[in-house]
Amino acid sequence: MDARGDTRAPAQPLALDPTDIARLGSMSVRARVIVEGAFAGMHQNPHAGSSIEFSEHKEYAPGDDIRRIDWKAVGRVDRYYIKRFEDETEMRTFLLIDSSASMGYGRKGVTKLEYASYVAAALAYLLAQQGDPAGLLLFDEKTRQYLPPRTRGGHIRDLLVALEAAYPAGRTEPGRALAEVGEIADRRSLIVLFSDLLDAPADLSDRLRQVRSRGNDVVLFHILDPDEVELPYDEVTDFEGMEPEDARRLLVDPRDLAASFARESAALRERWRQACLEARVEYRFATTAEPPAEVLRAFLFARQRARR
Amino acid sequence: MHFLAPLLLIGLAAAVLPWIIHRIGRRRARPVRFAAMELLLRAEREVSARRRLRDVALLLARTGLVIALPLAFARPFAEVRSDLPAVTTHSQSAVIILDESASMRRRLHRDDTPFDVARARARDIVEHLSPDSEIALVLASEGSAAPVAELSSDRARVVAALASVGVSARRADFAAALRRATQVLASSTRGDRLIYVITDLQATGWEDVTQATLAAGPEIVVLDASGGQPWTNRAVVGLGAEPAPEEGAHGIAVVAEIANYATEPVRGLGITLRLDGSEVARGFVDVPAAGRARKRFVHTVSGVAHHAEVVIDHDGFPLDDRRACRVEASRGLRVLVVNGDPRTVRTEDEAFFLEAALRAGGSNFSVTTVLPDDLANRDLTSFGVIFLANVARPNAAAAAAITRYVERGGGLFISVGDRVDADTWNQTMKGVLPQPLGLKRSASALPGTRPEGETVDTRPAERLAPIDRRHPLLAAFPARGEGLASARFFQFLLLAPVPEVPTRRIVLRYENGAPALVDAEVGRGRVLLLTTSVDREWTDLPIRPGFLPLVQEAARYLAAAPSGDATASVSVGGKREIVLGADDKRIEVVKPNGDSRWLSPAPHAGEQRARHAVLFDETDEPGLYRVRGARADGTVDDRPDAVFAVTLDPGESDPARLADDKRPDRASARGAGGPPPRRRMELWHALGAAVIVLVLFESLLTLRFRRGRVKT
Repeated sequence: MDARGDTRAPAQPLALDPTDIARLGSMSVRARVIVEGAFAGMHQNPHAGSSIEFSEHKEYAPGDDIRRIDWKAVGRVDRYYIKRFEDETEMRTFLLIDSSASMGYGRKGVTKLEYASYVAAALAYLLAQQGDPAGLLLFDEKTRQYLPPRTRGGHIRDLLVALEAAYPAGRTEPGRALAEVGEIADRRSLIVLFSDLLDAPADLSDRLRQVRSRGNDVVLFHILDPDEVELPYDEVTDFEGMEPEDARRLLVDPRDLAASFARESAALRERWRQACLEARVEYRFATTAEPPAEVLRAFLFARQRARR
Repeated sequence: MHFLAPLLLIGLAAAVLPWIIHRIGRRRARPVRFAAMELLLRAEREVSARRRLRDVALLLARTGLVIALPLAFARPFAEVRSDLPAVTTHSQSAVIILDESASMRRRLHRDDTPFDVARARARDIVEHLSPDSEIALVLASEGSAAPVAELSSDRARVVAALASVGVSARRADFAAALRRATQVLASSTRGDRLIYVITDLQATGWEDVTQATLAAGPEIVVLDASGGQPWTNRAVVGLGAEPAPEEGAHGIAVVAEIANYATEPVRGLGITLRLDGSEVARGFVDVPAAGRARKRFVHTVSGVAHHAEVVIDHDGFPLDDRRACRVEASRGLRVLVVNGDPRTVRTEDEAFFLEAALRAGGSNFSVTTVLPDDLANRDLTSFGVIFLANVARPNAAAAAAITRYVERGGGLFISVGDRVDADTWNQTMKGVLPQPLGLKRSASALPGTRPEGETVDTRPAERLAPIDRRHPLLAAFPARGEGLASARFFQFLLLAPVPEVPTRRIVLRYENGAPALVDAEVGRGRVLLLTTSVDREWTDLPIRPGFLPLVQEAARYLAAAPSGDATASVSVGGKREIVLGADDKRIEVVKPNGDSRWLSPAPHAGEQRARHAVLFDETDEPGLYRVRGARADGTVDDRPDAVFAVTLDPGESDPARLADDKRPDRASARGAGGPPPRRRMELWHALGAAVIVLVLFESLLTLRFRRGRVKT
């Protein structure tokens, strides 16, 4: 994936809030608005078309267009290479979205699942624009829906429809989904995981490391509701778990817990950030209160800088 | 517990309100499905212990508050049974006699003393008496002042006076205290007049209280401050020094008398002798049950004057576990006896009993007897004391020699008899006679019967009035003058009246008031005048037990040569006359606790020059009182010859309790008018304070937790 054109530092992004985006008609519109918002901040045109910029060399193989042989390179190293351009560096992208019941929490505005869907849709839209194949895997404790990465015309529409139809249910098992994608991704792919990681098992970090070790580029979007960062309740509340078979309940005055809850939440984020750092996985944290375009723009900007 | 407004206790039902509110609050809790349960539960685990403690504390505080409020409004009170007599509830005029005598200093079981208990009970009475009552405060020890000498309604003043009273080392004298209390109450017009005597009920001090003197007086209530605890005690009740010839010329023997007041014998009681502050001997003594034992220490000393102290193993009353005395190494006192009526029958000789008394064992007197005619040929200055016994009429030369001798510091004892020519004496011996001699008087009535010491002599006779032991000459005699009180006086000389002067004191009187023994300072010397004879012609005094100590002490007193427990000692609270040295301008007396007092001889009205002696009366604590003399040139020297010991009255060591039939409180007073009174103790003040504390506690707790929330 690449963002073409001017990659100067962003300034004054034009991004809609998640609640505003939710009011938009369809997921394709939402995806387009988010992408436009993200690129408006980067002063780039997301619809600039295919690139003709040289990207890399590839050793000649039978069937390759001999017109693209780099004769200068042959002269230098006495081997045949053909030039590949950017629009030809196809990258398969897998969008993994946690659709467990806990992702359905959203007291104000959108749920975490909706928010993850918006960002994933925008990414898929952007990839489709670039001609890169993007796939989708919705999972809870098992794989609920899988759309393999394709570039054909109707694929993006199917993907957006699947995202539109996603609903929260079941327990979460992100490690299992990662393992499954790891099996499918047979060459260097971009794997983007969206999850709240609230009940993620400890072996997820091992799974991340395994997938990363196979040469895949892995990005973890840690999505939390603002309530899960700082407890906002101010009266005695009877809390109960959201996931199936979670019988945990707690009757408490949340004001007594606010401080320690904030510390625990920060510790959770720090724990995953550290785990990702160790596994060489890109960690990105977002709350559902932040404009998705901002999150996307920051993600793209960071990747551009990393590539340079 | 009782309540003035019990209906308000209905409000106690509100005690369940905090619990109900708590339960309702939990039931009304909004259910929320929350994804981050794991984080929530972790946070809960972190604060749960503190939060639960806070919740319980808050719930208890609020419940307590809701309970305390209606309780306080219901005005609760408790009735406590007072240990004070019922009469204390009456409006009355009351005098509290607080016993602060030496025995009140002993330790009780809890390390407090009977005096502490007595003072606390006195304070209880003061606080318990009805507000319109009047109170005075009198102390029971001999010679003490009354802290509140007149009836007063000012409780604060009486309480302050009680707080300022300290326990003394003096002997108790309840007769004097009751007399004083009765006098105080005489000014009251109230019907209810009571005397509260708070004491340890030691028998000592009550001897002179008779039922007859109490009959017409105010009602007396006796309160026991000892708690009825039996008291066993051991004490050093006597200490004296005598020559110890077996140790040579410088040998002395210090003899201590140890009393055991317990019903069990004491074996191996540790006893230590200190001489001039240094421990020189240690030993053990066995003392029989309810008996006494003597311990004799023999020691060799150099020099003349020393002081000794004997200490026994301490018990609950350490004050009497030590005793001090002054010790004089052998220093012969030369005594000249002028026999004015010599007889061939020895027992009829005027000087027979006198010489016998002076030569009695241990006195160390060197006695020389001469006839009056030989007096002029003698060098009087070589004698410490001169006794003139029934000398008819001293001639002019002898009178001049005697006068000169006395004025230069000599001591003169004059006794009279049928040979004395009063007129001649009044002319020739005018300079030394304390008072002019008058007519001879014969007793006209038979004396009252006394249980002790009666003789077959049925002649009309006078007896001595009760003695005043404050005079150093009599300090060694028992309080009631045993040994002297039984003496009969058939004839005696009256003395011509003269203006009173401070340099003359009546030491002994007959019961009819006439002087028996007069003490006077003449120049730098001293004269004692006995108005009867020293043989058995006019009196049977010479055969009474008191004659020997009286004569010996008189000799020492006149020669200013005291020795041992007798003349160098004074009872606690007594006065000690200290003769200044020839060059002394003033003297310093250093008390046993190190405090000192400077004294200067003061001239008296009508005298041209200052007396060469001072009177020291701050003998509050037993022990040795050291004396230093300051000369005109500013030098200060110790006066070992003037050191004296202040001793505890042995009666204060005796734990014998006052017998019930001798208690001065009458049957009605002892019962104190029925059952002990009940006292109402208001409790709502405490509850009000509890409400305030609970409100503060609840507020602080709430505020603290709110602050905690804001900080986070």
